[in-house]
Amino acid sequence: MTETAPETDTDGSTDRIDLTDRDTATPDYDDAFDAVVVGAGLAGSTAALTMADEGLDVLLVERGRYPGAKNVFGGVLYTPTLRQLVDVDAAPLERYIAERRFGMLSDEDETAVSISPGEWHDPPHNDSYTVLRGEFDEWLAEQAVEAGATLVTRTTVTGLLREGDRVVGIETDRPDGTIRAPYVVLAEGGNSLVSEGADLKEKDRRENVAVGVKEVLEFPEREHAIEDRFRLTGDAGVSYHYFGEGAVGDAFGGGFIYTNGDTVSVGLAYRLSDAATSQPDPEGTLNAFKTHPAVAPLLRGARTVEYTAKTIPEGGADEIPELVHDGAVIVGDAAGLVLNNGLHLEGTNMAVESGYHAANAVASAAQRGRTDADALAAYREDLESSFVVENLERYEWLIERVQADRELLFEELPRAVADAGSEYFRMDRAPKDQHASTAKRELLRAVGGYTGAAKLAVRYRKLLS
Amino acid sequence: MSVEPGIPTVDNESIEDRLYTVKYEDPGDSHLDVTIPGICAEKCVTTDCVKVCPADVWREGEDGVPNIAYENCLECGSCRWACPHGNVEWEYPDTGAGVTYKNG
Repeated sequence: MTETAPETDTDGSTDRIDLTDRDTATPDYDDAFDAVVVGAGLAGSTAALTMADEGLDVLLVERGRYPGAKNVFGGVLYTPTLRQLVDVDAAPLERYIAERRFGMLSDEDETAVSISPGEWHDPPHNDSYTVLRGEFDEWLAEQAVEAGATLVTRTTVTGLLREGDRVVGIETDRPDGTIRAPYVVLAEGGNSLVSEGADLKEKDRRENVAVGVKEVLEFPEREHAIEDRFRLTGDAGVSYHYFGEGAVGDAFGGGFIYTNGDTVSVGLAYRLSDAATSQPDPEGTLNAFKTHPAVAPLLRGARTVEYTAKTIPEGGADEIPELVHDGAVIVGDAAGLVLNNGLHLEGTNMAVESGYHAANAVASAAQRGRTDADALAAYREDLESSFVVENLERYEWLIERVQADRELLFEELPRAVADAGSEYFRMDRAPKDQHASTAKRELLRAVGGYTGAAKLAVRYRKLLS
Repeated sequence: MSVEPGIPTVDNESIEDRLYTVKYEDPGDSHLDVTIPGICAEKCVTTDCVKVCPADVWREGEDGVPNIAYENCLECGSCRWACPHGNVEWEYPDTGAGVTYKNG
């Protein structure tokens, strides 16, 4: 492809690329592609697919042996946007989420709330499915390829090509692996060495990054173990979340169990700053969580199929980097788009949403023949007015408060609730009235009396607004 | 209560066995390093890299500089953020080497 006048000027504001005059027969890949996507995860493949649908020539570069080979997540894929783009029902899904359960764990007790609305059994199942990323990400990348994108695997992007401030392509670990392209979509994940190396974003503080470990477990010689233990029929599955010291000690984070088709995923995540200071190492914390009296019965007799680890950017809205640059956009985990406020643990939907909006912005800029950041600003604007940034901003206060109150919320309250519960339902010959007052006293003591309870209610009132 | 009978035993596999579940291709060279060994030896007293690593990659070394079992690495990147001295060098293993997850 040849660039036509006017030539690039220094601030990049009037770059023009003639998309009609493309020479795809050149032996090297320089400017053979309109856009390069770094990383074939959910954000990257969604971006590649969307741009290909818009008629752009897209190169999707993945450092793993196949898309998904380097990717880890907890376990639930949320599909409202993906469903608009691909045939989700044809995807390798494991189970739909029919029950969500939130368990508060002290060191030996559990107090739990479970919801399983009937409508979750009906398609589209609240757009919530467990998947295994090795299979799913490969499938999604295939959809991008079918839409016209070119996928290369086993290729690591080692840096970005620059002309002044403008990103004009990528450097890879392949021989002659420099590839020029007008647009680069950075979908490299949370460990974003390329974006950081090119000064497009700063490295986050460890207080804002969680370490996650997960095991996929199978139950050899125990047919129907998953259906029986989690009370499942057909393709129904569960999402169990756990908080409190029985899950991750005094750290800020939580544990989870998700049911796949023939396996379960069990794991936890908590902030790296806690891992470095007060809490035992991730593997030791996982061991303790798995042997908690409320968790062990669900996992007994299991064998480890796979052990995985990842880091999660949890800095929230404040830590989103500049998303749009001259010739480049940042999407997905690389852009810090993860919501973890305790109740909601979402990243997959945000990755897809960001890849989609970024791709549309690139396609629109390409149509106008521009590569400057201003021409790509629609991505930032669309993302800011979407649920992604709305939700991150909405819960910013909650995450800060929970962190400040974590001793109360994760240690004292779970213990008090469990104690109050056992007192309230205690079977002896004392009248229930007496049990109820004792239970109330237990709870009030934990939160600092009526004044403390009132203050707590005020601190968290926005939860209900 | 956790030691009472009636709570089933869950066999947690060793870190070695856990790491055996993951396919690994040796890139030949370590993709991890410390930038300035002197910082580990003289300034670091907390060895946070050792504490946060989920895969037993970072191990305390006799001279105060950690030993790096890079072939254990699950490529999570924890060490990179954890080091308060910013002393961890981290590169992606090249041409598809390193860890390969099947499930993920």
